[in-house]
Amino acid sequence: MRNVNLPPLDPDKGEWDEKALNRRRFLEASFWVAASGGVIATVGAGIRFLIGNSLEPKKESWVEIGSTESLTPGSMHRVRYRLRAKDAWRTVEQSGAVYAITEDGESYTVFDATCSHLGCLVRWQEGDRVFACPCHKAYFDHQGQVLSGPPPKPLRRLETKIENGVLWALI
Amino acid sequence: MSKLGKWIDERTGISGPVRSFLSYPVPKYVHGNLLYTLGGLTAIGFLLQVVTGILLMFYYDPSPEGAYNSVDYITFEVPLGWLVRGVHHYGASAMVILAALHMLRTYFMSTYKKPREINWLTGVLLLFLTLAFGFTGYLLPWDQKGYWATKVGSEIAGSVPVIGSWLASLMRGGEVLGQATLTRFYATHVVLLPTLVAILIVIHILQLRFHGMAPAITERAKRNSRKFVPFFPHWVVTDTILGLGLLALLVYLSWSQGVPLDFPADPSASDFVPRPEWYFLFYFQALKYFPGSLEAVATILIPLFIFGTMIVLPFVDKGDERRPWKKPVTTGVGIFYTVLIIVLTILAW
Repeated sequence: MRNVNLPPLDPDKGEWDEKALNRRRFLEASFWVAASGGVIATVGAGIRFLIGNSLEPKKESWVEIGSTESLTPGSMHRVRYRLRAKDAWRTVEQSGAVYAITEDGESYTVFDATCSHLGCLVRWQEGDRVFACPCHKAYFDHQGQVLSGPPPKPLRRLETKIENGVLWALI
Repeated sequence: MSKLGKWIDERTGISGPVRSFLSYPVPKYVHGNLLYTLGGLTAIGFLLQVVTGILLMFYYDPSPEGAYNSVDYITFEVPLGWLVRGVHHYGASAMVILAALHMLRTYFMSTYKKPREINWLTGVLLLFLTLAFGFTGYLLPWDQKGYWATKVGSEIAGSVPVIGSWLASLMRGGEVLGQATLTRFYATHVVLLPTLVAILIVIHILQLRFHGMAPAITERAKRNSRKFVPFFPHWVVTDTILGLGLLALLVYLSWSQGVPLDFPADPSASDFVPRPEWYFLFYFQALKYFPGSLEAVATILIPLFIFGTMIVLPFVDKGDERRPWKKPVTTGVGIFYTVLIIVLTILAW
C-alpha cells in the first residue's frame, strides 16, 4: 500500500534494502495494473462464457394442431403439441399446449396456453366460456382478452396456416 | 499437549488461535437465553445441508431426461436415500425458519446498530441466499413443482421493465426452460451459493467475535452481563444438543412424512396447479393483488423495497435506544411485516 511506513526491522534480523525501496511506488503501480488487468480479463471472459447462447432468440417451429375437420366450429379445442427441438447440446422432444377455435370453419385462431402474466398454463372453462389461470386467479375471454386478474396483456395468438386440410401453428 | 499436538503446533502455530477461539468468554445472560442459539443452529443446519448435499451429488444426474429418475432412484432404491434426501429437503425449510427467527431476534433487539452494521448486512445477504438456495434447489428433481416454480420465477425476472426478457433468458440459459436451465441452477446450487454462504458465515462469525455480543438491554440481563462462561464447552454443548434435536426432527419428518416428489415435469400438463414451496407462498399470494399495469410493482419493486429497507436499516435507525418497547416505529414495522407475511402465507396455503 502507498504511503505506509514500513515497521523497523529488528537489527539482529537485518535491515530494509533502501535501494530496492526506491522502486516501491513503481512496483505498487505495476501490481495494480497487472492484477486488475488479469482480473478484468478473467471476469470479462467468464461473464461472456456464462451468458453463452442464452440470448439467442428461440427458433420458431410449425406444429401440427390437427385436421380442420376435427375442429368443430364454436368450441374451444385444447391441443397438446410435440416437436423435436434442440435444447442446448441435446435434441429433445418438447411439448406444450395451445387452444384452437374456429367460428365459421374457415378462419382459425390458435392461442398459446401460456398465461401472459407469469407463464402458467391457462384452462378453458366451457361453462363460463373463459380461460382461467390457476396460479394468480386470472381470467381471459374466448378472444384471449383479459377479463380480470393480474395479466398485463392478452393471450398470445399464434400465426396459423392450413395445408391439405391440416391446421398448423407457429410456436 | 500431546506429542503430535506439539509437532503440529510448532509447524503451524495453530494452537493459539484455536485456544482463543474456544475460550472466548460468552456473557451468562446470552448463554442462559435460548433465543441466542438460533444463529448457531442455523449454522448447524447449513452444515447438515452441505453434508447431505454432497451425498446426493453422488447419485444425482443433472439432465432433464435423467434428473427425475435419479431423484426417484435416490428416494426409493438407494439404501437410506429417503433419509439423506429427506433431511436435505426438510433441512431447507428448517434453514429458512431458523435464519428468519435469528433475524427477527436481531431486529427486535436492534443489534444491527453501530458498530455491528456489517454483521447485519452479511446476515441479510445470508437470509436472501438461503432463499436462493431453496429456489435453485427445488428445480433439481425436475418434477412438476420445480419446473413450474422455475417457469413462474423466471417470468418474474422477465417482468422487470426494459431488461426483463434479457434477465429471464440469462437465468434460463435460453428462451425456454431446459437443459441449460438445469445445469445453471445446479452449478449455482452446489458450488456458487455454498461458496458465497461459507465466506459470508465466516465474516459473520468473525464480526461477532470482533465486537462481542451486543450489550444487554434488560435489567435482569444487565445484572448477569459481567459473568462469563467459555465458548467451549459451555456454549458449544448447548448448540450441539439442540443441533442433535434438529437432526432428530428432520429424521422424524423424513420418516413420518416421506420426502415429496411430484410427477415428472410436463410443460403441457393441464391438471397441475403450480405452487411454490411454502416459504414463497406469501409472495405468490401477493402477486394476485396487482393487476396488469402494476405487475412490475408486485414482482420486483416490493421485493427490492424490502431488501433495500433491510440494507439501509442500520444507517437510518441510529439512536442509542435498543429496547423494543421503547422503539414503537421499528417494533411496529417489524410486527406489521411479520404478521403480513404470516397472513399471506395462510391465505395461500
